[in-house]
Amino acid sequence: MRAFGDVWRSNIFQKWVMATTGLLLVLFLVGHLSGNLLMFLGPMHMNEYGHSLREMLHGSAIWVVRGGLLLSFILHIWSAIVLTRRNRMARPDKYVKTSTLTSTLASRSMALSGLLMLVYVLYHLAHFTFGGVHAQFYAGQTGWEYVLADGTVVPDVYKMVLLSFREPLITVLYLISMVLLGMHLSHAVASVFQTLGVTNKRITPVIKIAGPLLGIGLALGFCSVPISIIVGLVH
Amino acid sequence: MNLRLHIWRQAGPDAAGMLKTYDVANVSEHMSFLEMLDVLNEDLISKNEIPIAFDHDCREGICGTCGMVINGRPHGPVAKTTVCQLHMRTYKDGDEIYIEPWRARAFPVMRDLIVDRSSFDRIIQTGGFVSVNTGNAQDGNAIPISKKHADHAMDAAACIGCGACVAACPNSSAMLFTAAKIGHLGALPQGQAERSTRAMHMVMQMDAEGFGACSNHLECEAACPKGISVEFIAQMNRDYIASALGGKD
Repeated sequence: MRAFGDVWRSNIFQKWVMATTGLLLVLFLVGHLSGNLLMFLGPMHMNEYGHSLREMLHGSAIWVVRGGLLLSFILHIWSAIVLTRRNRMARPDKYVKTSTLTSTLASRSMALSGLLMLVYVLYHLAHFTFGGVHAQFYAGQTGWEYVLADGTVVPDVYKMVLLSFREPLITVLYLISMVLLGMHLSHAVASVFQTLGVTNKRITPVIKIAGPLLGIGLALGFCSVPISIIVGLVH
Repeated sequence: MNLRLHIWRQAGPDAAGMLKTYDVANVSEHMSFLEMLDVLNEDLISKNEIPIAFDHDCREGICGTCGMVINGRPHGPVAKTTVCQLHMRTYKDGDEIYIEPWRARAFPVMRDLIVDRSSFDRIIQTGGFVSVNTGNAQDGNAIPISKKHADHAMDAAACIGCGACVAACPNSSAMLFTAAKIGHLGALPQGQAERSTRAMHMVMQMDAEGFGACSNHLECEAACPKGISVEFIAQMNRDYIASALGGKD
């Protein structure tokens, strides 16, 4: 086996780090979206779900997932910085006349869409998870308790989401970041398979269509909750 | 037809370059793009000006020597065509054409449209070979190779090393070139002995030369005059990781 340092520094390994951590983050988003869609089933299901997340494996599961997510985020961003820097350095002199055939707005702006989403994720956590921003809508405050069917008193997550998305600023920021997410994933998901070398004549044509569809589908799924709240479908 | 050309002129590797405008009259549609530049150069020489330097050799589209970026597209607008096989019938009277050299840190401009592509040679030197026994040549039919594998190897071996993939890639990545060489030799039984070290060494050299990484834009595949598939990049990624995890070095 080659010295780990040599492998770690290589562009291909850095791309593997980006692809595998990206894949983990996409899997997390699938789980996140399934939870969000419980908003359509009403406060009981949503709040029960929120409670179960915090109680799973005596409260340890949520920290294991959070640790994994944090590590994935750090490695994903690290590899993005390393590769973006190298890619820019590889072409010091630009063309006067440029033309593109196959690259897309999404593929060319991965670093930008990723950076803007990072800013959004930090804001999103400060809003819904830690409660520093928009404290008036935070479910952890007194008076926002919800009593489950078995009598357990839990924070009213349903109410937090509902009232938050009735604020135009919160909703607009959310929808913009979901457009960025859809863009980012429309290029990212199919790229993961190419980078990891999971390709062949049968699956690659399917992945080239299914990858962007999954990315855009996830973004649309996330958008469905605030849009339904605004138009009054969820109340 | 009459054309207006904006051509990158640079006296030497360290000189500052700039686009210079030339008007070329009475261009025949039957000329190749390089013949059109030959006519312009004859004209420049007759006026005691320095002709435009560009690389060319076979002019049959098979040697990989020629190459320039025409209106932002390596080898010009026609797919799977080298610039020597690009004909002026592609253009119409009054067209403005921007002609620039390949742009990459690993391909420094030597003069005008000529770039130094010896970085490709150094990548080949680290692993683009197979070991053969000395003595008499082996019988050609001694090693059975299925048509499927021979065709697959040939798809990669079609690479002429022109560098259009690097020129087209927004990251100036040489992954399609390197992957074609690794894929070509890796598809054949003769190439198995060095398969693991080949992927490792060629990728390390590619990185050391200062080429960028792949962002899956697929511009390289679209620009390749031989239509090499990015499938070979996926295969290189597999070979590289297999080598990194367990290969001998």
